[in-house]
Amino acid sequence: MTSKYEFKKIFELIFKEYLILGAIAILVLVTSIVQPAFLSVGNLSNVIRQFGPLIMVALGMTFVIIGGFIDLSVAGIISLVAVATVYLIDIVGQGPALIIGIGIGIACGILNSALLLTSGALTQAEALFITYGMSLVYGALALIISGGSTQHIFWSENNTSLFELIGSGSVGFFSISFILFLICLLILYLLQNYTYAGRVMRLTGGNKTAAELCGVNINRSIIFIYAISGLMSAIGSIVLISRVTTASPVIGMGYETNAILAVVVGGTTLAGGKGSVMRTVLGTMLVILLSNCMNLLGVSVYLQYVLKGAILVIAIWMDNRKQS
Amino acid sequence: MNILGYCKKLLSIVNKQKAFLALILMFTAMLFFKTNFYTPLNLINLMKSGSVLLILAFGITIVLVAGGADLSIGGVMVVSGIVAIKLMNADVPMAIAIICALLVGVVVGMINAFFSVYQKTEPFIITLGMGMLLTGIAQQLTDAHPVSSKNPGFLLLSNGKLFNQIPNQVIVMIGVFVLTFFILRYTSFGRNCYAIGGDYEVAKYSGINVMRTKALAYVYSGTIAALGGIMLSSMLNSGNSTYGENTALLVNCGVVVGGTSFAGGIGGAQHSLIGLLVFAVLQNAMNMVGVDSYVQLLFQGIVTVGIIWLDSYGRKKRREMV
Repeated sequence: MTSKYEFKKIFELIFKEYLILGAIAILVLVTSIVQPAFLSVGNLSNVIRQFGPLIMVALGMTFVIIGGFIDLSVAGIISLVAVATVYLIDIVGQGPALIIGIGIGIACGILNSALLLTSGALTQAEALFITYGMSLVYGALALIISGGSTQHIFWSENNTSLFELIGSGSVGFFSISFILFLICLLILYLLQNYTYAGRVMRLTGGNKTAAELCGVNINRSIIFIYAISGLMSAIGSIVLISRVTTASPVIGMGYETNAILAVVVGGTTLAGGKGSVMRTVLGTMLVILLSNCMNLLGVSVYLQYVLKGAILVIAIWMDNRKQS
Repeated sequence: MNILGYCKKLLSIVNKQKAFLALILMFTAMLFFKTNFYTPLNLINLMKSGSVLLILAFGITIVLVAGGADLSIGGVMVVSGIVAIKLMNADVPMAIAIICALLVGVVVGMINAFFSVYQKTEPFIITLGMGMLLTGIAQQLTDAHPVSSKNPGFLLLSNGKLFNQIPNQVIVMIGVFVLTFFILRYTSFGRNCYAIGGDYEVAKYSGINVMRTKALAYVYSGTIAALGGIMLSSMLNSGNSTYGENTALLVNCGVVVGGTSFAGGIGGAQHSLIGLLVFAVLQNAMNMVGVDSYVQLLFQGIVTVGIIWLDSYGRKKRREMV
């Protein structure tokens, strides 16, 4: 009797917590039966290559969502960092340009949090609109800097070997961008689970008033959360421009919704306080595999958007049911 | 003492009517530029170009007052316009095509209501996902190309003019304004929306059918968004999946700029009118002065952030006072 009960409990746990693994398994199984080309080395390395920009942005977004906020400005940050970095290569050379680009990302994140803190906006809705407005501002700055035109990295007279390396270099089977992702994941995982700052972020998302009463400095925590989101968006942006070798001022469009999709599908709760970067990796995997499988199965790109929207709505719904 | 009292009162009015003040400021500033801003043609154009967003804004005002949010309106707008045009091109009479397009809005409103009212999910995110889904549907329907209507009568629907002066679109906008104003102010449904937005639990215990009222608000918003989509498609005689890209967030910001709060319970159609006009006049004025379009985008962002920042800041001050 007990064993039966325990079995049921374990089954429920798997169903509730690791539904996404099942979804990935079914997706891979169906596609590899219908389209054996899915399992070819070429396609798999292609999938690994796609991990680049989206996963970086989604990892940063995980921290924001765990903190109980949301960040729509990543689209603007990606565009701004992309344009500014390519613009700076000509002036200061590739190394400094890269560092300044990442600095811009962090600065944008800190500016977001400063606006939220000074106005006392502590709800997700207020954060949503303020970051959306900032996204417009960053996007407009990107358009002003570039004059609206797309720039090519290799048009620069300076050396651009660093970007070539990030974009197309590889160590054995793994691309450099994949290794970069592993390094970021490791650092963020350690930060989240084994440091004071990581625990405080979770507390901030769980209950701000309680956290404050416990003597936690939630303001510092919020600044930290948005700075990480800005930093990861900047890294994602640099990986992206290295791969496509051009920087368009609207390059970041759509990344905010895809990143939120990846985070929520992975099982991080929108209400804040629960979730982890590992879940986001699974969520991103599902999003990337989904488009890869759909492409192989010959589903139109537009239907994929419909499906992504439907998955987002259903994932949020299931997440909500799990809570209540 | 009396003068001081007046000053205080004036200050509080200014603090409450930030958007109105911004509007007056812009109108005054335009007096100093030598442009065609103050010509009847431009002012009618301004109303015409702003009217689609205004129609959408009145729809979501009721939802925001009831303490919800609807970010799917951009998607509803494009899908309904495309559905209307597609049906007309398939030789369906115009009236039936328009009714079908409006039904799109009703259905989406019901789905939104199901998720955010009956299942109690976070409305901002769920409707954002809904908007994404609808944009995908619009792309699928049109193959991501603009479609245009072959029915010449459709173009007249919003471009036709009353007394050869006022475009029909503006009249529809005024109609929706009056309807929303009337509903919010003089019907029990509207009063209940304020009660629910003010305090959900209190409204529930005072015997209001909170679920049904809030659900109706979503359906109203969806339907009005579909109407806005039909007017937009008729104005441009085309439907395109890219029209609604930033609409939802822009309109929501506009409504909040006018003084309707996300927290619910405050606001009204007249506030939304002023809030959206700030954006419309800003854009028109900058066009008249000849500001670069990218710089315009920058200003739009700064104004949005600035006014929402002020809104939040005001609420923080009120919290601290309590």
